[in-house]
Amino acid sequence: MTDMTTTPREITFRVRRYNPDVDIVPHWDEYRLHVHDGMTVLEALHQLKAEQTPTLAYRSSCRMGVCGSCGMFINDLPMLACQTQVLHLNTDIVTVAPLPNYPNVKDLVPNLEPLIQKHAAIKPFIIHTNSQEIDEPTGEFIQTPDERESISQFTHCIKCGLCLAACPTVATDPLFLGPQALAQAYRYSADNRDCGLKERLAAIDVFHGPYQCHMAGACSQACPKGVDPAFAIQLLKRTLVLDSIGFGKKKSSLAKVMPLADVVKQIEEFAPPPRTVGK
Amino acid sequence: MRETRLWSLHILVIPIIAVLLGMHLAIMHYAPVFYGMSVDKAREYATMLERGKSVAQLVIYMLLLVAGLYHGLYGLRGILRELPLTPTMVKVVDVGIILFGLFIFALGTYVTWWTFNAKLGG
Repeated sequence: MTDMTTTPREITFRVRRYNPDVDIVPHWDEYRLHVHDGMTVLEALHQLKAEQTPTLAYRSSCRMGVCGSCGMFINDLPMLACQTQVLHLNTDIVTVAPLPNYPNVKDLVPNLEPLIQKHAAIKPFIIHTNSQEIDEPTGEFIQTPDERESISQFTHCIKCGLCLAACPTVATDPLFLGPQALAQAYRYSADNRDCGLKERLAAIDVFHGPYQCHMAGACSQACPKGVDPAFAIQLLKRTLVLDSIGFGKKKSSLAKVMPLADVVKQIEEFAPPPRTVGK
Repeated sequence: MRETRLWSLHILVIPIIAVLLGMHLAIMHYAPVFYGMSVDKAREYATMLERGKSVAQLVIYMLLLVAGLYHGLYGLRGILRELPLTPTMVKVVDVGIILFGLFIFALGTYVTWWTFNAKLGG
């Protein structure tokens, strides 16, 4: 029996086209392309643009699932075009559309402004109460491997926006902060070096915050980096509830500062052995 | 108020409702099992008035009223606030739900209290 996921063949690409200068509504165009084993949807789009439709607009950059630029709605699922092999879709017609739940700029280019705005609203950075230590550091803030591990998966977010495109709540409630921002709110609030939960409350402890999540879990399925935003939202709820009843984690900034002298000492301990050749 | 507190309360009243609703079912619908009384008899006007005079009944139904109203109306608010509303409409929904809840609470309290003080056969 032939393995359809590796057999090179002609595939029809149904691409949603939209040029705001010309079109009133988007329309679908079809292109035929000979696809070989291992060819990604992004490579197919590159070839279509080079050979058949030079006006096709889409975003891409790294081509290896790191930058998160090429998020698209491929066969009705949000995916990174660079990580999706055409033949692995196991269909002779591949539909490619811009990510849903975002305004459409042109063709396959979504306007990711809602993602960026929601991400910025939750203050996605370490907030420290000891401003003097921030301005004139005397050491570094210690984070143990266990503390790092507890937030590790949530640091892998590449801000591709697939989770917001997959989220059914965002589809009906555009004001919902969404899985990306809420997962990052948890990632930073749970970081042992951060003391900024109180500052984030104005953005996250609101109606359109974590309690609006319907727990469909589509965000976790869509994430190309294996992050589980649905889980992060549940953890964020727990953090907020504990904080609201006065059982939140107490964080002291000074206790976590390792004096620079100790850091230097450590570096010396791990220094290479003295040279024995070429003295 | 922080949404966390509103949501926590919404979750906390679930076990309270479960217990009180269980009591309500035992009193009204499973009277043959718990009181050796037919269901028809348990629902009779005179039986209700008699039962309503107990302090336990007053407390159970007042608590069930408060818990049920809060849980239900918080859920209703969640559904309505998911609609694309203007800031003014959001305020109308929030205030409207509070006023509606207060009205139903007043009505329920009046009925429960009236039953508690009612004279049998009057």
